[in-house]
Amino acid sequence: MKTFWQRFLLNPRVIIGLIWLGAVVLVALLADVLAPRDPFAIVGVPFAPPGGAHWLGTDSLGRDVLAGLAHGARTTLLIAVLSTLAAVAFGTLVGAIAGYYGGLIDDILMRATEFFQTIPSFLFAIVLIAILSSSAMNLVIAISVVSWPPITRVVRAEVLSVKSREFVQAAVVAGQRDHAILVSQVLPNTLSPLIVTGSLLVATAILIESALSFLGLGAPNQMSWGFMIGAGRSFLRDAWWLVTIPGVAILLTVLSINLIGEGLNDALNPRLAEL
Amino acid sequence: MRALTKSLILMAAAITMACGPAHAQKSGGTLVQITQPEPPNLAPYISTSGPIGQVTAKVFDGLLEYDFDLKPKLGLAESFTVSPDGKTVTFKLRRGVTFHDGKPFTSADVQFTIMDVLKTNHPRGIATFKEVTAVETPDETTAIFKLANPAPYMMAALSGYESPILPKHVYGVGDIKTHPNANAPVGTGPFKFVEWRRGEFVRLDRNTTYWRQGRPFLDRIVVRFIADASTRTAALEKGEAHIAGFGAVPYNDVRKLSALPSVEVTTKGYEMISPLVEMVINTKKAPFDNVKVRQAINYALDRKFVIDNVWFGFGKAAVGPISSNFEPSGLFGAGVDFTVPDRIERANKLLDEAGFPRKADGTRFEMVHDITPYGEEWQRFGEAVQQALAAVGIKATLRYEDVAKWLKRIYTDYDYDMSSNFLYNLADPVLGVHRGFHSDRIKKGTVFVNGSQWSSPETDALMDKATTEADAAKRGALYRELVTKVTEASPVIYVHELKFPTIINKQYKNLIDSPLGIYGNYANAYRE
Repeated sequence: MKTFWQRFLLNPRVIIGLIWLGAVVLVALLADVLAPRDPFAIVGVPFAPPGGAHWLGTDSLGRDVLAGLAHGARTTLLIAVLSTLAAVAFGTLVGAIAGYYGGLIDDILMRATEFFQTIPSFLFAIVLIAILSSSAMNLVIAISVVSWPPITRVVRAEVLSVKSREFVQAAVVAGQRDHAILVSQVLPNTLSPLIVTGSLLVATAILIESALSFLGLGAPNQMSWGFMIGAGRSFLRDAWWLVTIPGVAILLTVLSINLIGEGLNDALNPRLAEL
Repeated sequence: MRALTKSLILMAAAITMACGPAHAQKSGGTLVQITQPEPPNLAPYISTSGPIGQVTAKVFDGLLEYDFDLKPKLGLAESFTVSPDGKTVTFKLRRGVTFHDGKPFTSADVQFTIMDVLKTNHPRGIATFKEVTAVETPDETTAIFKLANPAPYMMAALSGYESPILPKHVYGVGDIKTHPNANAPVGTGPFKFVEWRRGEFVRLDRNTTYWRQGRPFLDRIVVRFIADASTRTAALEKGEAHIAGFGAVPYNDVRKLSALPSVEVTTKGYEMISPLVEMVINTKKAPFDNVKVRQAINYALDRKFVIDNVWFGFGKAAVGPISSNFEPSGLFGAGVDFTVPDRIERANKLLDEAGFPRKADGTRFEMVHDITPYGEEWQRFGEAVQQALAAVGIKATLRYEDVAKWLKRIYTDYDYDMSSNFLYNLADPVLGVHRGFHSDRIKKGTVFVNGSQWSSPETDALMDKATTEADAAKRGALYRELVTKVTEASPVIYVHELKFPTIINKQYKNLIDSPLGIYGNYANAYRE
């Protein structure tokens, strides 16, 4: 039997995903070194095509597309990761309590979760941004508010199955308190589906953030990939690179996160992978 | 070569002259106009929402019309005389004019329209007709306006777009605010309203009993509403639509359309509207209460960059609150020149003097700049402003909200530092310019007035004098003094005169024949 890491890292799809995602993370970390100026700074003539003084060209105001891409990676990833962490934290809390205690508490919490689940998530995010006004913080809030319900359902289902196992009953008999049992016995055993769902959630968060920025609802003072596409879409026929370059970046990043997520799933549940 | 070119031009001119009469205006044809967005109603007597006038100016006539120098021409009025004291204006009305329902047009309709509708309900009419105390109707073809004070600006606001003459027997019945004909207008204009299919089009047909003999030439006007910008461009490109203006086509698409042989692009036809792009500054809030800070921002702004790269060349640097379209009427004046070559040094010096030296990180202070929520060129304008301010050490954060929130912030809560905006100069400075900085227009909750809350007794007095000054030359002098004072104080930064491009299919002629452009009536337009 191979170990988890062997199963995970030797999967070719995971390798492809990790290479691209690693590159994006590196660019995001080194954005200030690669493009030391403000990405909104006007540095050249507008609509300079790629390949000249500016490797990836300039946009309609003469801003460097490469600088935008690097700083945009940082914003996009940061917002996606933060909102996913918030969604996972909140979703786990609700799911664990609902699953562990059951009964009336479960009913109340799950009906509330279903209420959020029935609202189309992207429309809900638009409404939230319209109410909160657009800023990076509010984007994180809006994205996490629309993405926690699936986490809750996954965690609750896992908790329900784990809590009837013998070691949990043993802990109860041993006199451990509820929160100690939840944290030390139950939750560690729900980790693998949680990690898989969470990693895929990062991809969804990137898409929501990009779509909101595309509609002009993104953070106006942060360069992001969605913003670049939104600002460039009117010039699709004049300057293809304004939309294509960040569009491809989003596509590849979301794809690589999905590959990694699936790889995690296969590695954590080897029997499922064989089916 | 030069000689050849010259002779070619001469030949072309000769041919054009020779062919002139042969190209007689032909009757017939349907004109498709694109109006964006769809108007909320067709009641121009109660709402000044832009798209309404693009439809209803074809249905309603005014007492007067105007030429490109903003001089009055005759409309429903056959002649008019202004008394020497400026307090009595007598209009002789045309005989034999009928409304679209067949009933005759008389002085009673003028009296009703001015006194009962426009003076009390029209958002701008309240100001236009403020001085009118009565409209007397000694007979059916005479309307005498009695004024408390001279009101020279009123004479510029009597077009069918600005002051449409309504039939009393239709609009006088029932409540004017909720009138059933608000969406089915009845007027005396060259085209009759036929049908409005919501979300699709308004159809207007030729008024066969129009009072101008032989006009209009077109059989029909269809005003189409197309929500998607690229579909609008495609419709004009394919010749499915024939005219569109007021930013209905994105500026970068205009360049592509203008390259087509079938299409012409003009920026004429906005002389009576004169939109001015500006930045409103909250003069009650530190540090913007300091005139040096405001002047520095004014210098910092790169007008040429904004016009060339945000509006793709459709603009002209503004030199004060009054548009250069008022040059022919003598009311134009240039203020302080903020486009001098050493403007950045001047801005830096002013900010140093104002007590905001650059800190270690190169910035002086931080502020929030609100973006006009009217679409993407405004967003890019905001980004350009942010960069211009950064060049002089002001770190600006951009804020983008929806229209309702933004209007409340600027005109009700006054909770802002600076915001972009655009205001129409309209037919006269009294109507479009005074509202921006007269102290009596600091009205909490009223939009598009004095949001910067700046005023001075001196400029107030100049405007009050210019309002009632009947002599055009003296008015012009007052306005030049006003423009200098206002640009010096810079409560509002005048960026550029917006030149809306109008896209016209070359098959159609004479569409833009007045300073109201698309707000004109198309009576003289014809298809080749």
